[in-house]
Amino acid sequence: MSQVLQSTSPTGTRATRVIGATAILVMAWVVVSGLLLTPQDVVQGESVRIMYVHVPSAWIAYLAFVFTAVASASWLISTKHSMGFDRFAGASAEVGVMFMAITLITGSLWGRLTWGEFWQWDPRLTTTAFLFVTYLGYLAVRRLEGSVEQRARRSAVVAMLAVLEIPLVHFSVVLWRSLHQGATVLNPNGDVKMDDLMLFTLFSGVVGFTLVFIWLVLHRQRTMLLVDIANHQGLDSAIVARRAEGSAN
Amino acid sequence: MDLTPRPSEPAKKPRKWLPIILLSLVGVGGVVIVTQFLRSAIDYYCNVDEIGIRSGCEEATRLRVQGTVEENSLQKIGSKTSFVMTFNNKSINVVYSGDPGGVFQECISVVAHGRMIDGTFESNRIEVKHSNEYAEKNADRIESSGSAACSQAQG
Repeated sequence: MSQVLQSTSPTGTRATRVIGATAILVMAWVVVSGLLLTPQDVVQGESVRIMYVHVPSAWIAYLAFVFTAVASASWLISTKHSMGFDRFAGASAEVGVMFMAITLITGSLWGRLTWGEFWQWDPRLTTTAFLFVTYLGYLAVRRLEGSVEQRARRSAVVAMLAVLEIPLVHFSVVLWRSLHQGATVLNPNGDVKMDDLMLFTLFSGVVGFTLVFIWLVLHRQRTMLLVDIANHQGLDSAIVARRAEGSAN
Repeated sequence: MDLTPRPSEPAKKPRKWLPIILLSLVGVGGVVIVTQFLRSAIDYYCNVDEIGIRSGCEEATRLRVQGTVEENSLQKIGSKTSFVMTFNNKSINVVYSGDPGGVFQECISVVAHGRMIDGTFESNRIEVKHSNEYAEKNADRIESSGSAACSQAQG
């Protein structure tokens, strides 16, 4: 078992190093373009630059939670119940919660600069906060007592229910009257009213954040594998110790 | 000490689909309830033309009212700010107890918190509701940024 642990110890591979290096390059471009090259907005002025972090982090959080649901469904449906699906679901949710926190923090700062308020209980902000708390609950469920199979089953059910909140969050600005502006890129008309360089920088941010997300999830799910192996190894060691005690008696 | 071999794994039970289907139905039902039946409770504001007409927009209560700041209506009266707010060709006079600051300007959508008193909406909080349009602020537009906001608000 210790050989297995040693052979899987590095969580990085050639692929993750390439993804990581590309993410650094893309994010460097986003920083330069977002802070220096893109123009001020005609109404919002300099505060529009928060968009290059706020919007991609929100999209990646949604993506992460959808991946969590898909991996959870795969675990439930598959006959082998491969724990790889469960670890991927957990890793994706953890990274998604991080991006959701970034969304809430940057959104709050942006709101203070434009609306004049850090926070209001309007439909978009409330549903987003609810989504964030739901996935904190999901992560708590994963830490409940029980076997890895119990952990996987409980959290898979929660993940498949929690993902239903995402359409509610996204369409909250359409369904209800919200202080938050409507979608610019994913609007129902398909008519994107945004300066070209602003739009390109926004998409660069989405690509950069996606690469960061992939890099983090790959490393995190491998770390989770090592934890599971270590726990299993600890159980086997305890059994060996008890057998040794039995032999001595 | 019991050192008997571990029992072999029990035969796998057939998957229980019913709880999954029931939980999914509960989730979908919840979404339908929230989206269809709680609309009036969740809406953040009333529009100017709905004051005294729409349920939840009664004049006697504290309201959040949304409309566009009318062009050439903005005035500073001592420490107060006065303007006309319009929506769907219906207007109200708003007196705000302070200086809204930030990106507040004429032709922009705002949500004012306050009460209707003698036909005037007396507000103690203004939130600017920015649009989903983003345009470059360049030299040509600096002089007419107000009208740029008007075209965005009206467009």
